[in-house]
Amino acid sequence: MNRYRVPIVAAVVVVFLAIGAFLIFANQTKGGAKVTINATVSKGTSMSPGTWTAHHNDIVTVNITSDMDGEVHLHGYDIPFETKAGQVVTKTFTADKTGDFPIEWESTSTPLGHLVVS
Amino acid sequence: MLATAIFLHGFGTRYDLPASLWLYLFAAGGVVVISFVLVVVFAGEQVGEKAIRYPRRELKLLLSIARSPWPRVIGGLIGVLGLATIIVTGLFGSSRPELNPAEFLIWIYFWAGTVIVSGLVGNLWYLLNPFAAIYDAVTKLVRLGPVWKLPQRLGIWPAVLIYYSFACLELTTGMANRPYIAATAALAYASLTLAGMILFGRDEWLQRCEAFTVLFDIVGRFGPVEAGRDETGRITAVYVRPWGVGLLKPAPSGWDRVVFVILMLSSLAFDGIEGTRSWADFTIATEPYWLPQGAFGFFLLKTVSVTLLTVAFLLIFIAFMEMVIYFGKRRVDLMSTVSGFALTLVPIALVYNAAHNYYYAVVTAQALIPLLDDPLAKGWHLLPAVAAYKPSFALAQASTVWFAQIVLIVVGHVIAVYLAHLRAGERFRTAQNALLSQYPMLVLMVMYTMTSLWILAQPVTSGG
Repeated sequence: MNRYRVPIVAAVVVVFLAIGAFLIFANQTKGGAKVTINATVSKGTSMSPGTWTAHHNDIVTVNITSDMDGEVHLHGYDIPFETKAGQVVTKTFTADKTGDFPIEWESTSTPLGHLVVS
Repeated sequence: MLATAIFLHGFGTRYDLPASLWLYLFAAGGVVVISFVLVVVFAGEQVGEKAIRYPRRELKLLLSIARSPWPRVIGGLIGVLGLATIIVTGLFGSSRPELNPAEFLIWIYFWAGTVIVSGLVGNLWYLLNPFAAIYDAVTKLVRLGPVWKLPQRLGIWPAVLIYYSFACLELTTGMANRPYIAATAALAYASLTLAGMILFGRDEWLQRCEAFTVLFDIVGRFGPVEAGRDETGRITAVYVRPWGVGLLKPAPSGWDRVVFVILMLSSLAFDGIEGTRSWADFTIATEPYWLPQGAFGFFLLKTVSVTLLTVAFLLIFIAFMEMVIYFGKRRVDLMSTVSGFALTLVPIALVYNAAHNYYYAVVTAQALIPLLDDPLAKGWHLLPAVAAYKPSFALAQASTVWFAQIVLIVVGHVIAVYLAHLRAGERFRTAQNALLSQYPMLVLMVMYTMTSLWILAQPVTSGG
């Protein structure tokens, strides 16, 4: 038994981590789907919908309508949406980073919502 | 509302997703199963002094390097340059933390990075310590003798107090994200340390009052590089050993040492807890009490919380140690036993620290690179080639982060349980007593690892 102790523990740890790796990496979606998000910003203080969701590597098209001139900023991806009152501003990007990215009304740093890429 | 750009000590944006519930449950279940396997498989191992003997291999190649003055000279130069950069850029650079190198150097490169690397390799602070380097350089020119003697009964309590103050600066003052405050604190601490070394003696001050020397001595014990020294302190051999086993080496004991280790654990835990939604709910629920005092009220709330958490950690640890000694059924020296077991918790804290700071280490740290072009935000172009550098997210995909975190947490837990097992064998002398005494320690470690996992699985909130 003595000389098998370390290999037994090592084997249990390796099996556990292998299952963990399988569960984590097998759950990943391949992505590449086209996702369209239509958001409306009111008075630079709120946005509907507040949460945008996408999968890794999806191609995301965002259409934003605002009732004010200004900038909606998607942090992490560092994408500015220069809004003109009543007009739609559209940007398309690949969701190549996973995470939870805040969206702000840039001039006042007011949080409007967030983009979740999983 | 769930805003996710949280800040390390009020600084440094992170966008990582918290581990999901199923992954948390899987890891937590795995930790329990592996702990059980460890205890069963290693039951009846070596006891007495043999239990804490570990394999090590001498590295003859490294001996001449370790004996030469160059590692200290180069390390000291890097340390002094880092300290000077922190002070100059912190005082004269941008007031925005994300544009000031001082914030990156203190909170990511020193605080997160040096701890991680010291755990992986060995006590890096021994080489980098800028205070020791300045003192050594000055004493080559001027003779400086100690004027006073530190009372022996003070133990390392001064270091405990300084570490507690540093934890408060980092976690509770809300000022860690102000570069000039960070720089002023660095300048004040450098002055205090240099004055302390001059007045009380270099090694006395470093080993008993300089919190980072005490901290990195503990962290370095986890690392795989070990130096053998003779009575004069001269290096006689350099060894490599398995990670963690250095924590079994004889170490000074005392409540001051135990409280220092517990403070390491509690401040790390509080750093994580502060970013959770539960903490946000707690601060909202207690608003009637602290809000009238404004920012000072919030500082007070956080300081009381981190203090109570430390006291709670300490009481829980003492209660479990009472059980360990009871089940060990052997008269042992209480103080050295408690101190010895406290060190076996260090691996769990270190891996949690690495898991918690993973995102900062692999992504946020890169944001220092473009700042090198204009470190004082004066519109300079010192290194135009790096000005446009954008951090790579290659190692920060959610799946990679989660897997790295799970690996770290599980491996750290296994090392901690194994070390506690060896320590019990050494303390309680018979295999059966050692095994019995293991159970309370195992429960404590599982609880601590579960807490670490729980924090990592929490949705993060803004602020922090």
